[in-house]
Amino acid sequence: MAMKINRRAILKGMAGAAVSLPLLECMLPARQSAAQSAPARYAILFAGQALGCDNYAKNESRIDGQSVTEGGHFIADTGYGRGFALTTPLLPLQGMENDFTMVSNLAIPFNASSSDGSAVPSAGAYRDFHGGGCSPLLSGTRSTSPSYVCNGITSDQVIAELNAGQTTHRSLVVRSQPGFYVSGYSFAGRQYISYGPGGGSGARIEAQASPQVAYRSLFTGFVPNGDEDAARFDFEMRARRSVLDLVLEKRARLVNNLGRADQERLERHFDEIRDLENRINALPPNVGGQCSVPTDPGADPPIGGDHQGGGSGSVTGGSGYSDEHTRSRIFADLIHMAFVCDLTRAASLQITAFQSHMNARPIADGLGTLPGTTRPARWASVGGDLHEVGHNGDPNNRGQIPSAGLLQWHISHYAYLIDKLRSTPEAGGNVLDNSVIVFTAEAGHGLQLNDASSQNQTHSVENMVMLMAGRAGGLSPGEHVNGNRAHPATVLISGMQAAGYQGNSLGDVSL
Amino acid sequence: MFSRVAGVVALASLVSCSGQIGRSTDSGPPAVDPILAVESGARRLSQAELDNTLRDLLGEDSAPAARLLNEDEFRPFDNDYTIQQASEALITSLEALAEEVAERAIGDAGRRAELVPCTPTGGGDEQCFRAFLDSFLSRALRREVTAQDIDAYMPLLAFASEDNAAVDNDFYTAAQLAVTAALQDPEFLYRVEQGTPGNTPGLLELDGYEIASRMSYLLWASMPDEALFAAAGAGSLESPQGRRTEALRMLGDPKARNQLHRFHSMWLGYRSIPHSPELVAAFNRETSALIDRVILDEPGSYLRLFTMDETFVDDSLADHYGLPRPPDGEGWVSYEGTGRAGILGHGSLLAAFSKFEDTSPTQRGILVRTRFMCENVPRPPPNVDADQPPQGAMDAVCKYERYAEHRDQSSSCASCHSLVDPIGFGLENYDVAGRYREHDDGLPECVIEGSGEIVDVGNFSGPAELSRLLVDNDYVDACAVQQFLTFALGRPASSYEQELLQEMVESFRSGQHDFKAFIVDFIASERFARRAQERL
Repeated sequence: MAMKINRRAILKGMAGAAVSLPLLECMLPARQSAAQSAPARYAILFAGQALGCDNYAKNESRIDGQSVTEGGHFIADTGYGRGFALTTPLLPLQGMENDFTMVSNLAIPFNASSSDGSAVPSAGAYRDFHGGGCSPLLSGTRSTSPSYVCNGITSDQVIAELNAGQTTHRSLVVRSQPGFYVSGYSFAGRQYISYGPGGGSGARIEAQASPQVAYRSLFTGFVPNGDEDAARFDFEMRARRSVLDLVLEKRARLVNNLGRADQERLERHFDEIRDLENRINALPPNVGGQCSVPTDPGADPPIGGDHQGGGSGSVTGGSGYSDEHTRSRIFADLIHMAFVCDLTRAASLQITAFQSHMNARPIADGLGTLPGTTRPARWASVGGDLHEVGHNGDPNNRGQIPSAGLLQWHISHYAYLIDKLRSTPEAGGNVLDNSVIVFTAEAGHGLQLNDASSQNQTHSVENMVMLMAGRAGGLSPGEHVNGNRAHPATVLISGMQAAGYQGNSLGDVSL
Repeated sequence: MFSRVAGVVALASLVSCSGQIGRSTDSGPPAVDPILAVESGARRLSQAELDNTLRDLLGEDSAPAARLLNEDEFRPFDNDYTIQQASEALITSLEALAEEVAERAIGDAGRRAELVPCTPTGGGDEQCFRAFLDSFLSRALRREVTAQDIDAYMPLLAFASEDNAAVDNDFYTAAQLAVTAALQDPEFLYRVEQGTPGNTPGLLELDGYEIASRMSYLLWASMPDEALFAAAGAGSLESPQGRRTEALRMLGDPKARNQLHRFHSMWLGYRSIPHSPELVAAFNRETSALIDRVILDEPGSYLRLFTMDETFVDDSLADHYGLPRPPDGEGWVSYEGTGRAGILGHGSLLAAFSKFEDTSPTQRGILVRTRFMCENVPRPPPNVDADQPPQGAMDAVCKYERYAEHRDQSSSCASCHSLVDPIGFGLENYDVAGRYREHDDGLPECVIEGSGEIVDVGNFSGPAELSRLLVDNDYVDACAVQQFLTFALGRPASSYEQELLQEMVESFRSGQHDFKAFIVDFIASERFARRAQERL
C-alpha cells in the first residue's frame, strides 16, 4: 500500500530538530511494495546560493534601479497543498507539478544567545553561516566550528551504504563547479557535499569534477556490438587490467618498507586502485531495454580562471565560469543513465559550491535562452558573482527577482534530470517512480545566523526549502508542504526511507 | 616597543587579541632533533608539479593535470601534503590522464623516438623493450631501476605480439601501456623517501636519487634532468659540495626562475589577482623582474625585494602608474618621489587581498600581518558577517568613517582590527590597481590621509615607509625564511622545529640576506640529505 497519511502530517508534528516521535506504521511509506521490482535510487542536487537577497523581503526587488513589489518570486511564495502555482524558481518544473513535493518553512536550530561552539544545540548550526550550516543541513549533525565539515554521514551515502556490493559503483559523486574563482583563495572544504560513515574531514568524498572522466568511469565497461568492436574492446580491457595489475603488484614491495604515516597514505592510494580494478572486473553491465551507453561528452569545457574583477561591475565574461551549464547537463545525463543501468543507486551533484563565487553573468545574460530556463517578466541582467548577488553586489538589480532567476537556473538541472527519469520506462512505470531526487540550496531567507538579529538575510538557516521528486517507496509527490520549522534533515530522512533506509534518523535528527 | 625582538620569537606570540594562535597538530616530540634531520612524508605531486614533470618526461605541454585533476588547496602553497588524500575521483582521473598522455607521447613519432632508444625488430623485440624500460622507468621513477622493476613490466610485451585481427598492435602498443602504467605508479606520483638508517637512531640517510628529487622539486617544481640524475648516480649529491655545485647549476636554469616566481606569488598572495589578463601580465613581469634581480641577476641583499628604489615597467605600465616611461620601451625607472619601494609598490601586491571591488584596509592589514610578518590573525568572531562591508554610522560616506566601528574601543572589534586596519589605511593612497589616488574612488570629498601604523612598531605612510618598518624591525627576513621552509617541507614547521627555523634565520642574516646563497646553503646542509620518519 502506498502511504495513507501524507508527509505533511508528519512534518506538522515535528516540534523541533532532535525530537523523536513515535510514528504509526501507516505513516511511513510502504517500503517493499510487491509491485516494485526495480531498485530504489536516491540523488541529491545542491545549489550554493541563497533563496533571496539581503534586506529584501520575499516580495521586494530592485530592477534597473526601480523598486518593485511583486509576489511569486520567492520559491515558496505560493499556496500549500496540491495544485500550487509555480513560482519563478520553479518554472523549469512546468508539467512536472505532480512529480515533486516542495517542503518549505524548514529551519535549523541555533543558539541565539551564544555564538560559542559548545553552545550549539543538537542538530544545530554554528553561528558562522557558510561553514556552520553545512553539517546540520546535509548530515543532520551539529556543527561546532566555521569549517566546512559534515560531522556525520550524508543522506546520499546512507543509501550508498545500504546498496553496497549490489552495484558496480558505490555512489556517483560529481560537481559542476571546478574552481573557486576567487583570487588568492581555494575551496577549503566548500567543495564537499558527500561524507561517508562518521563524517569528519577524513570521510569527505572527493567529487569528480570532470564530466569526461565521470563518463569514462561509468560507461567504458560496456561491451560494444559487433564482433570486431567487441574483440578490440576485449583487447583494450585486458590491457587496462594488466596495467593496473602491474601497479598493484608492487604494493607490498613499496609499502612494507615505509613508516606508518606513509604506509597509510599509500595504502589508501592502492586501495583506490584496487577498487578501480574491481569495478573494471565487475560483470559488464547489460545494455538493453532502456539502458544504453550515452553519447561521449568529449573533452570538458575549459576551466575558467579566477575573476578578473572584484565585484558586480567588474566581474565580466571570460572568467569565473567553466560552462557550468553544460557540465551540469552532462552530469545529469550520467546520473540518469547510471540509475537506468543500475550502475549505482546513490548520487550527489553539487551544481555550485558552498558560498559559490561562480560568475553569475553568463547565467543572468542567458536566462530564457539557456535550455530549460525562463526569463522572469521583470528581469534585468544582474552583475557580480553568485555570492555577491545574494549580498546585493549589483546596486541596480537586487532583491528577490535576481536571486529567483539564478535559483531557477539551478533548478533547471533538477528539472532536466527528473524529466529524463520520468521519460524512461521501467517495471510498468518509469524510473522516477523508483527514485527519490532531492534539491536543496545552501541557505534559507530570514533571521541572520551570524548576528541572530537582522531580518531578511541570506545568511539564514530559516525559511529553508527542499524539493523532493519521485515515487520510490510509495511517495506521493505533488504538494507544497508547510514544514512548520521542522529540521531540513527530516525531509532527507523521509527521502532516505522511501529509498529503502530502515532507520528513522540522520545525525542528531529523528523522525 | 619590542620591535628588536621581532623575528621568530615573536612569530607565534604577537597577536594580542583573542583567538587561537599557532598549530595544534603536533603529536609529540620527534624521534630525532630537527636540527639534525627533519621529518618527511610521501608527497603527491601537485597539479603544477605533475604537469611540469609530464612536460620534462614526455614532452607533454597541454597541462593535463590542471584539466583532469581537482584543484589543489593553497595554504598558501599548493604542496601541503598533510591534506592530500587519495580518492576515487583522483584515481579515475589519474587513469584517464595516464592513458591520454601515453597515447599522445607514443603516438607522436618524434616524441616516441626520444623515449625509445632502439629500433624494434618486431612486435616481440624483448631486448629493445627492456632497453626502453630501463631508460624510461629510471626517469619516470626517478631512480635506478632493478631487474625486478623491468621484469614486472615485461608481460605488457604480449600485447605487442598478440595475433589479433581486431587491433593494429605493434611494439609501440606495449610501450604505450608501459607509459600508462608508469604514470599511475605511486613511485611516479609521489615522492616517496625512504633512506637508510645511520648511527643516530631514527635518522635516515637519503640516497643520491632521493636527494636529486628533493632538489629538483624544490628548485624546479619538476623532475631531475639528465645531469642531476648523473650526479645522483655518481654519488656526488651525498656530499655538501656536490649538492652545492648542482644547486648552483640548477639555479641558472629558467625553470628555477619560474619556481621562484611561483613561490613568491603563492606566499605573497598575488598568484591570481582580479584584473584584466593584460594588466596581470604586466604586473607579473614587473614583480618577476625584481625577484630575478635581487636573487639571481645581482645577488646581494634579498631585502632589496622590499626596498628597491626603482621598478621594471613598459610604457603602458609606466603610464598606468604615472611613472616616467623607461628608455627603449621597457626597463627600470626610478621610484623617487612616489612613496613607493620594492614589491609593496607593485600593482600585483596592491591588488592582492582586495574586497568589495576596492582596497580593503582590513584585508591589506591581514596580508601584511600574515604574509610579511608571519603572524596569525584570528578569524572574526562568528557573529560578525564579514561578507558585508563595514557601514559605519548612518551618514558615513568616506571609507575611513565607514570603518569607524572597527576603531570603537568600546566594542569588541577594536582589539583585533587595531592590529590590521591601521596598516591598510597607510596604503589607502594606492588603489586596487596600484595607482596613486588622493581621495576615495569617485568621492572627491573623501580625501585620503594615508597615514598608517603597525601598532607598537611605528608609523608610516605608503609602501616605502611600510617596507622600511618591516625591514628595520626584522620581520620580513624572518618571515621569508619561515615561508621558504614551509614551501620546502610541504607543510608548516611544527613547534618542535622552531629552533631549526631560528638557526636558519640567523644564517640568512649572517649571510647578508643573500637569498641565492641561502638556498644553496639550505641544500648543501647535512640535514637536507637526511630525514626522520613521521610520527603518526
